[in-house]
Amino acid sequence: MKVELRGIHKYFGKNHANDDINLTIPSGTIQGILGENGAGKSTLMKILSGYFHADQGEILLDGKPVKIASPAAALQAGVGMLHQDPLDFPPMRIIDNFLLRTSGDFFPNRKHAAQDINLLMKEFGFSLDPESYVDSLTVGERQQLEIMRLLFLGARVFILDEPTTGISAAQKAKLFETLKKFPEQAITAIFVSHKLEDVEKLCDRVAVLRQGKLVGQMEREQGKPFDNKKLVKMMFGKEAPLAPRQAYSQEGSVLRLNDVSVEDARLKIRNVNFEARAGEVIGLAGMEGSGQGVFLRACAGLIRTVGGTVQVKEKDLTGKSYHVYKNNGVEFLPAARLEEGLVPGLSLTEHFQLAEKAEGLFIKQDVGVKLAQERIAAFNIKGTPVSAVESLSGGNQQRALLSLLRTPLSLVLIEHPTRGLDIESVIYIWSKLKERCKQGSAILFMSSDLDEILQYSDRILVFFNGKVSQPLDAEKTSVAKLGEMIGGRGWQEEPTA
Amino acid sequence: MRNTLSKIAFILVIAMLVLSACAPKTPVATEAPETEAPPTEVVATEAPATEAPATEVPAEQFVFGMILVGPYNDHGWSQAHYEAGKYVEELTGAKMIYLENVYDGSPDHPGTTTSQLGEELVAQGAKLVIFNSDAHQEEAIKFAEENPEVKTILASGDSAWKEGKNFKEIPNLVNIMGGMEYGKMMAGCAAALSTTSGQIGYLGPLINDETRRYASSAYLGAKYCWTEYLGRDAAELKFKVTWIGFWFNIPGFTSDPTQVANDFINQGYDVIISGIDTTEGLTEAKKSTAAGKQVWAVPYDYIGSCEEGAEVCLGVPYFNWGPSYLVNIKAAMDGTFAAHFELNNPDWADINNKDVSAVGFVKGAALNADAAAKLDEFIAALAGGLNLWKGPLNLQDGTEYLADGVEATLQQIWYLPQLLEGMEGQSVSE
Amino acid sequence: MKNTRISNFGFQILAVVLALVVTSLILIAAGANPLDAYKNIYAGSFGSFEKLSDVLVAWIPLLITVAGLLVTFSAGLWNIGVEGQIIMGGIATTWIVRLLQDTTTPPALTIALAILAGMIGGALWAALAGALKTFGGVNEIFGGLGLNFVATAATIWLIFGPWKRPGVASIAGTEAFNESVWLPTMGDTRLSLWALGLAIVSIMIVYFLLQGTYIGLRLKAVGKNPKAAYLLGVPTWQYSMMAFMLCGAFAGLAGAMQVMAVYHRLIGSISSGYGFLGLLVAMLVNYQVIWSVPVALFFAALNIGGIQLPIILKLDSSITGILQGTLVLFVLMMEGVRQRFMKRAGEKQ
Repeated sequence: MKVELRGIHKYFGKNHANDDINLTIPSGTIQGILGENGAGKSTLMKILSGYFHADQGEILLDGKPVKIASPAAALQAGVGMLHQDPLDFPPMRIIDNFLLRTSGDFFPNRKHAAQDINLLMKEFGFSLDPESYVDSLTVGERQQLEIMRLLFLGARVFILDEPTTGISAAQKAKLFETLKKFPEQAITAIFVSHKLEDVEKLCDRVAVLRQGKLVGQMEREQGKPFDNKKLVKMMFGKEAPLAPRQAYSQEGSVLRLNDVSVEDARLKIRNVNFEARAGEVIGLAGMEGSGQGVFLRACAGLIRTVGGTVQVKEKDLTGKSYHVYKNNGVEFLPAARLEEGLVPGLSLTEHFQLAEKAEGLFIKQDVGVKLAQERIAAFNIKGTPVSAVESLSGGNQQRALLSLLRTPLSLVLIEHPTRGLDIESVIYIWSKLKERCKQGSAILFMSSDLDEILQYSDRILVFFNGKVSQPLDAEKTSVAKLGEMIGGRGWQEEPTA
Repeated sequence: MRNTLSKIAFILVIAMLVLSACAPKTPVATEAPETEAPPTEVVATEAPATEAPATEVPAEQFVFGMILVGPYNDHGWSQAHYEAGKYVEELTGAKMIYLENVYDGSPDHPGTTTSQLGEELVAQGAKLVIFNSDAHQEEAIKFAEENPEVKTILASGDSAWKEGKNFKEIPNLVNIMGGMEYGKMMAGCAAALSTTSGQIGYLGPLINDETRRYASSAYLGAKYCWTEYLGRDAAELKFKVTWIGFWFNIPGFTSDPTQVANDFINQGYDVIISGIDTTEGLTEAKKSTAAGKQVWAVPYDYIGSCEEGAEVCLGVPYFNWGPSYLVNIKAAMDGTFAAHFELNNPDWADINNKDVSAVGFVKGAALNADAAAKLDEFIAALAGGLNLWKGPLNLQDGTEYLADGVEATLQQIWYLPQLLEGMEGQSVSE
Repeated sequence: MKNTRISNFGFQILAVVLALVVTSLILIAAGANPLDAYKNIYAGSFGSFEKLSDVLVAWIPLLITVAGLLVTFSAGLWNIGVEGQIIMGGIATTWIVRLLQDTTTPPALTIALAILAGMIGGALWAALAGALKTFGGVNEIFGGLGLNFVATAATIWLIFGPWKRPGVASIAGTEAFNESVWLPTMGDTRLSLWALGLAIVSIMIVYFLLQGTYIGLRLKAVGKNPKAAYLLGVPTWQYSMMAFMLCGAFAGLAGAMQVMAVYHRLIGSISSGYGFLGLLVAMLVNYQVIWSVPVALFFAALNIGGIQLPIILKLDSSITGILQGTLVLFVLMMEGVRQRFMKRAGEKQ
């Protein structure tokens, strides 16, 4: 299906989110939309998929002007959107999820639906159990579910908004493989990302947005890669520098695990021995759900260990709660910023007041506001002391989260520190984290972005199905090696260490 | 999840509110406590005013208020009062205003007190306020004391009775009660003459002096007719009292009278005498009879109570408050109202004379001709001076209440400490 | 910003108008003239000083209850058990009075201890709901409903059992206290200035607690996002528990006022439904403590003014309950409409 956008304008208050966008996407192509966060990509896609209405402009599908009033109307016209956060119903079974969102009979035909699901899965090589619960799925699996559902409902144009965020390398490969089958069926895919590398691998054409405007388009010349430098320049208006690797490893143990075992419903991690030194950055690599998340939370006292001892700065904290860890200089930053990290409805100032040690019973407002102003400036947060956190963009929420860390800290544990952020934010956030290292904090972080792990870690632990590798020296390993290991290959021995 | 729960919570709150707003409808009349009856005639601490000359027409219409414990149309206690008020309106041209379902804690008037509601009637012009329930006793006294210019009648109560236990000198408070002991005896007699199983159930309200005395009167009447007219052994008569906890059903707080009536029926009781303000006993008897199990009922309080189930109604002992209200309201109108206690017995010349007799008994359609004749005989005997409150009588726990040949004093009857020997059911002694 | 406030206010006015329209329709269906009805409600509540004092008598327990509920609402808890907490407050108060009124304890001390006991009673009952939620995983809505029933059952048992009047078994209530331990009232009115003072202090405490203290801030954080609050260092279950107990203490105080200042004894329904009415008020004011003062006054005025309806217009006084309920429904509904409207307007801009 051919998609044409003509003269699209969209304002949010004074913010001109889309400024005269003209874009034609031929049928059966994979179109990349690049741009840093806030460039207007998501707005444009939401207009195309019926969540927003353009203030001006028109949309043509296969040459015919259409009016897309709602997501349901979009789907009817053949446009389906795969969201950054999949919109499924976690406590339900896959099959029910499927049935729920298909219109039709009052009494759904489960058997029939199961057959359809299995057929689709075969076609695209997915392997999900229709009777399993959605909340037991990984982000990648949920994505597969959503793709099947949209196909099932007859989508001919797929909009994928940052689809590689939060999924494993293998799932990403699978996703790309799936998307590459689309052109054969004349399905058009629109791939929205801020990751050059992904666009590079996948797309036939790419359009770059900056500050609401379409600033350039590029078409892949047969067999040749895109001109990366040119794309970066279009995205940022300048070339983005990557900070040189810096190591601040110091003397002194911050975290020592002796024979630690952790379990959750799905996997068991056995007998881990590990030590992190002050100033060190430890990256935890692994496919989603391989144990790194459980491990990270266990190091914070958020999950009880079932064996062994945990020492923070030589103090035994085994079995203590997170708040005890916190009092001993440990902080945990979750990936789900608005769900776990921040309190929607409260302002930035209130967050700082919560995070800092309370003095007395009554809040001193002026002190709080001053603190907020300082932190907002120091962390370059686009917001004011009274801004509610949910009104901030993702990157600014992450900065806010980071700005809540107390000083001094022994150990910072972070889930996906830069997921979904633009390159500028990524660089900024890591510069802030490295400052912590300089001050002697150790950092443990997990990420599904192997480049990030390799770039910022001093040592790396690889997780596979609950097994933990020996620490790898980041200087001496490579993305390829990590990629193999998270896929379960290349382990020298049966790793229990 | 949270959201859904909030919604559920919200709906629940609304539902509660609606329920609490609507629930009050169920209660019905109450009952008046005390008076006693049998032996004597009017016991007045101060002479009741006699009728005022009819010629005097007040410059402005006299307004009297009535605080009803139940709904005005409850086919029972409260309706009897309401109709007496109408009777007075008709004969004097005075105007009645009233509030229903009034008792402390009534969901109809949340957060208010009975005396406060009495004052609401005063604010609307009432110069005299009638409180119609034993449940109002303390609040009526408080009201009378705080509003000395307002004439107060408590239909029930003994605080104006100099010879009573609870006398309190309040110049603007009158206690009125009908001599329902006689009515209850007739009820008991009709029940005993009709029962085939020899089991009579008494659907009791709350327990206090008045209710013990009335239940016992019903028992005395039943025992007398059972032994004297049917020649049966008193030991063969089963008479059981089950109390619900208030004058009428308050869902969630009292026992459900419908349930109590059914328990009686299921246990083989075939006559239910009602001591409560409402007609559940009659209704359940009717249902049971329609289903093939013959059960009779004797309702209470209101002359028209049998209407709810004429085919199973043996008759109803009722209060006729009109004559006494008329006298007292006229006294208030002409300025001769004075505190006193009155206990008005049936007028034996014609117990159903609505202008004179304070207590009456209307025979029901289900009372057979033979029993009706015997009941008439019994009433005539009572009129002739038959006193059933006479020894030998023992209390429920076997202690002697009256020695052989001794007649009870009014105080002994009024403050009966327990049920009588031969009755089943809770007594709650002091 | 200013626009938002005006439109917000506009929607609220619209909600009030709609509630009045619905209530008027019901009045018309009942054969009454709505204007007459409203006039009588007004005259019956604010028409004279005496009426106003009666409104304040009803306002006191309602406002205290709302004060407590604002704490639990802030902590994201639906404390439906507030009715039971009022009842338990009433029971505990009655217990202390019965214990001390015939001893040589000075009446003032008896009163103070009784009120304190009421607060403790309410707080402990609330703690039970909190414990069921925290340790038993029983949602506070269901736990609270259950505990309400238990509290009512306890009242019934006490009135028919250990605390029955001599020779009497009636749900009408326990024996009235000695007059020496009644809260003194002002002049001829039923209004106790002590009770009024406690109500005002209660709402002020809650105002400052929620606006200006770390405790209030943490409660809000727990209410809005317990996971994040925990990670930010707030001991979440302890704070939930504290919210329950604070609310319970206020509810217990309301119960104590019902016992000490209104009925002077324990009656079957000592809470007078103020718990549920309080939930409505708290929902209506949407966490804004200041607004709870006039809104609770308005609801109390409806309760008192409504007495006129059966006297003068022969209407059921529960009609005011319909007005209260529809008001809340429409305000909540309008809030939803407003949000949708603003969102659309936002997109249009």
